[in-house]
Amino acid sequence: MNRLNQLPTLRIDPAEKRTLSYRGKSLPGVAGDTVATALFANGVRIFARSLKYHRPRGLYSLDGECANTMMDVDSIPNVRTENTLLKNGMVVKEQNVKGSAEFDWMGFIDKFDWMMPAGFYYHTMHKPAAVWPHAMKQIRKAAGLGEISPDYVMRGRFDELFLKADVTVVGGGAAGMRAALAAAEGGLRVVLLEARPHLGGCFDYRVSDNGDGTPLYQRARELAEQVAATTNIRVFTHAPLVGTYSNNLITAHQVGSDSDSFTERYIEIRSESIVVATGCIERPLLFDNNERPGVMQVGCAHRLARTYGILPGKQAVFAVGHDLGLEAAIDLFDLGLKIGCVADIREDGQNPDLLMALADRAIPVLKGWVAAKAHGKTVTKVTLTTVEGTVKRDFDCDLLVASAGLTPVTGPFIMAQAKMGYDNHTGYFLPTELPERMFPAGRLTGVGDPRAIEASGRLAGLQAAAACGVSLNGELDAAKAATAALPGPERGCKLVTAPVKGRKSFICFDEDATIKSVKQAIDKGFDVPELVKRFAGVGLGPGQGGIPGHNLPLFVAKYTASSATPKPTTLRPPLVPTFIATYAGAHHHMFKRTPLHKSQKAAGGVFRNIGVWKRARYFSDDFDCREEILNVRGNVGMLDGSTLGKFRIHGPDALKALQRVYVSDMSKVKEGRIKYSAMCNDDGCVIDDGVVVKRGENDYYFTTSTGRAGATVEWIRYHTRFDGWDFHLVNLTDAMGVINLSGPNARKVLAKVTDADLSSEAFPFSGYREITVGGSIPARAMRLGFVGELSYELHVAASYMQAVWDLLEEAGAEFGIRNFGVEAQNVLRMEKCHIILGQESEQRTNLLDVGLGFLWDRTKSACKTVGAVALRQAEKDPNRFKLVGIRMEDDDRPARDGALIVDTKVRGYVATMRKSFTTGEAVGMALVEKPLSDIGTRLEIFEDECNGVRLYARVVKMPFYDPNGERMKA
Amino acid sequence: MAEIRRESPVDFGVRSLETEVRSDWPVALAYDAEGDGPWVVDLSHKTRWDLQDGQVGELTPAGQSVPATPGMSVLADGILINRMNRTQTSIYHLGSDAPDLPDHPGFTDVTEATIFLALFGPHALHIAEKLSNLDLGDPNKEAPFLLQGPFCHVPCQIVTLEKDAEDGTNGAGGFVLTCSRGYAQSMVHAILDAGAEFGLRPAGEQRFAQWLAALSS
Repeated sequence: MNRLNQLPTLRIDPAEKRTLSYRGKSLPGVAGDTVATALFANGVRIFARSLKYHRPRGLYSLDGECANTMMDVDSIPNVRTENTLLKNGMVVKEQNVKGSAEFDWMGFIDKFDWMMPAGFYYHTMHKPAAVWPHAMKQIRKAAGLGEISPDYVMRGRFDELFLKADVTVVGGGAAGMRAALAAAEGGLRVVLLEARPHLGGCFDYRVSDNGDGTPLYQRARELAEQVAATTNIRVFTHAPLVGTYSNNLITAHQVGSDSDSFTERYIEIRSESIVVATGCIERPLLFDNNERPGVMQVGCAHRLARTYGILPGKQAVFAVGHDLGLEAAIDLFDLGLKIGCVADIREDGQNPDLLMALADRAIPVLKGWVAAKAHGKTVTKVTLTTVEGTVKRDFDCDLLVASAGLTPVTGPFIMAQAKMGYDNHTGYFLPTELPERMFPAGRLTGVGDPRAIEASGRLAGLQAAAACGVSLNGELDAAKAATAALPGPERGCKLVTAPVKGRKSFICFDEDATIKSVKQAIDKGFDVPELVKRFAGVGLGPGQGGIPGHNLPLFVAKYTASSATPKPTTLRPPLVPTFIATYAGAHHHMFKRTPLHKSQKAAGGVFRNIGVWKRARYFSDDFDCREEILNVRGNVGMLDGSTLGKFRIHGPDALKALQRVYVSDMSKVKEGRIKYSAMCNDDGCVIDDGVVVKRGENDYYFTTSTGRAGATVEWIRYHTRFDGWDFHLVNLTDAMGVINLSGPNARKVLAKVTDADLSSEAFPFSGYREITVGGSIPARAMRLGFVGELSYELHVAASYMQAVWDLLEEAGAEFGIRNFGVEAQNVLRMEKCHIILGQESEQRTNLLDVGLGFLWDRTKSACKTVGAVALRQAEKDPNRFKLVGIRMEDDDRPARDGALIVDTKVRGYVATMRKSFTTGEAVGMALVEKPLSDIGTRLEIFEDECNGVRLYARVVKMPFYDPNGERMKA
Repeated sequence: MAEIRRESPVDFGVRSLETEVRSDWPVALAYDAEGDGPWVVDLSHKTRWDLQDGQVGELTPAGQSVPATPGMSVLADGILINRMNRTQTSIYHLGSDAPDLPDHPGFTDVTEATIFLALFGPHALHIAEKLSNLDLGDPNKEAPFLLQGPFCHVPCQIVTLEKDAEDGTNGAGGFVLTCSRGYAQSMVHAILDAGAEFGLRPAGEQRFAQWLAALSS
């Protein structure tokens, strides 16, 4: 097809060629084309088949308001080809066809529409119910849109942008640009969003003048230049609004061009005020076969020619209800389109200049006439009729430009919870009550005069600026006066449907819903639009109600002869389809590494996510960790324990705060000693454990479990919030790394790097010392025994951690020191029956259940211990769970962690169980109901996928290793 | 014997051009091809203090007054003092030397607790927009000012030291950021990735010192 390459309105660059692949052929396009316009320029008229009836579908709106032109592009289904800019090498396919879009074997279904009335699925396939699973499969094969391969990997780069703005203007037409410029005058930060790839809106493609002799397209470009030159306006084109939320939160997504660093990006704007200048779309004219390829809206036909240089047909008929239709007919005629007739739904009210221009071109105008039927698979003929249906005439044509009228794009208002009403003069659904600091502008207010459109934009921009606190010194009044002096809202066309029965008059293209099916729904009692919408499936498709959104409530009101004011149906985000990948954005995986991460990795560490951290769980392919465990038991090992929570608490009331949250009497913390204790919640359920040391007067250092570190400061502050105590907390979790040096040779290794006296007398079990390592590095050393061996826990400044680790590794080389990971630690401490909260406990487990009742000091009275009241209750409860040691009857078959202990009911679960390399037994800990906790009780264990085969264990004494603790106290 | 050296949690993945060892910290002074900005600089070796006291507003850490209002910061003599809340202040020593930790019990040296990055130059605030919904260019606030909140989903303290002099929309300016040390590599990766389209490059301490001097002049 030859393009109209010389038009000043073009948004394509005919000199820059593009190609796409379609049905194995390479088709040419040009820069600025959308996929749909490139296909249309190459003669493609049928783009896809409809969801249910497999009816042929073609270009209709050019703005992706319906699924008509959704295709498979580069293996992504349901791509709105009207909105997708053509890129070189795109591979485009039809979807939902058996055969081709031109000849679809499934097209016969269209003949059987009578078998599928509204609510077809609801009442046809559920009796008998057994039919449904089979019917559903067949329906899913026959219906639907595109399909995505389960193996498809989304390509591209997706990004996010979080903006702050004083004023956000939605819509980059003339009104939007004027609003942005006006708001920017006061120095405010202004964001301008435009869904199309360029600014201009309804001015962009029109050559009629704006009242002072300037063509509208030229005026739009002038405004765009002013906007570009205003530094405090940030413009985002090809960025459709996705949602508006309370407190003026706006979301959008932007499609990247070849020169952008992103494929698509999510934009979130927090704005002080909003101007909505989204303009109007066309309200579809309802007549038989109103969605046939060859039927298109006025703007679609006009923009095809003026923006993309493509004449939409050869011989056209117009059936329109507004002056833009007449203007388009004149302009397209001048560009070479033959026009058989213009049927204007309106009896009167046309712009006389336009009627004169039509007469000058000998284009017949039929007032009070409307299209009744389009003929042909693609349009070959149209039947026109008077709006009363009394007279009919046929016209041959390949293009029917049809539009009932305009209707405002009110999605932003509806999503922002504006109250909507019906305006009888314009025939528009308009907000009757707007959210705070939200202002409408432009054509959606009903004005059509170009100067009035601009004036309304400026007024809204100033109002938005004033809402941000800008003092306007009378400018606002002047803008109001200027707007009032210009033509106001225009009278709109009220006709909803041509005088037809409506069996093939489609009110919703996406869901193949017709006027007939709407009537069926209403006749069944679904007599309000929100119910019809769901029962007949009107507006539930990917077009988000763009096509039926306004016709449905109008038709329902007419058909039910309702005296109530029609209201539009609800819209919800996303207003336009948005890739999930766009929402995911760059998706940086944010996790914490310990100071030893690199060296642990170099040493063969296998990492796992543990809370917000990555930790080395294993150091070999042997995930049973035999060598790691035995080396600790028999020699010496080192563990990176840096993820432990670590805190300083200081101030005159620090002790009171500790007394409040710990169950023990913390006044008994002695300098040079460690105190192990636990925290409970108000229910007495144990939530954390750790050690506390006193470092000075009113100055303590304490540890928490890894998982609780992030919540500890808030936890303590929350539980002391009414006391007015003077204490302060500092989170040192990341500041200090931790090395756990464990094993019978631990003392020998540590002695090589420190001058401190490490003898058991000078530094006994449960002792705390501040020592120097390597001659200069300070370390806080604790004698602990979590793994059941002689152990030193060294707390070292994070930046020195690697140096200290290297020193110990060097010192321990002669003993065969080696790393051990989290799994080895898990087994070692399990053998000793030292619990890990979260593993030997769950949400309902209290301090007493896990055998930590000895920590609870019932006598301290100065501070009310969190959880103490509940623990007093729980102590008398005979039905609680109890933590017990268990051993499998088959030592070669340990049960899995989390396996259930059952009889006829669930009686408990296995917390941790491993084959112990130290004892040779399969042992572990389990939480069981008290009656099952006696030593020797046989337990029946159920595992996932056990196929009915139970495992058996018996309750045994704890701990399984070194019951007197001689090794760790050595 | 193993070398006694401190390690920054930040690794830009490129070798520095010039390095100096200071109190066991290897400090990158300059990188090759630092470009025309924006720049990201690792300041993790710079001393940071936490000061908490019921009367924090009346204290004068390092001889400077604590700002009266939470969210306010003051920068003087290379010391940045940020009022966090009613009782808490963070103190960053941006100059080359820091005094010893004062004897007052409310002070805690938290240098090791966080990473400390500076991001400045053209489009610095545009990079921040990609990672945080905090308003680093808030026209209602005069730099320096403190923000506390998520940056790339991680809780951070961010101090805007400079924003575009005219209207704050060209994204020029700069800020310093601290967050938990463990997030260092994730944060650096996210920042470098977000800044790639603007030509963000790692730079050495000298570049930061020049910027700081220009801010102070």
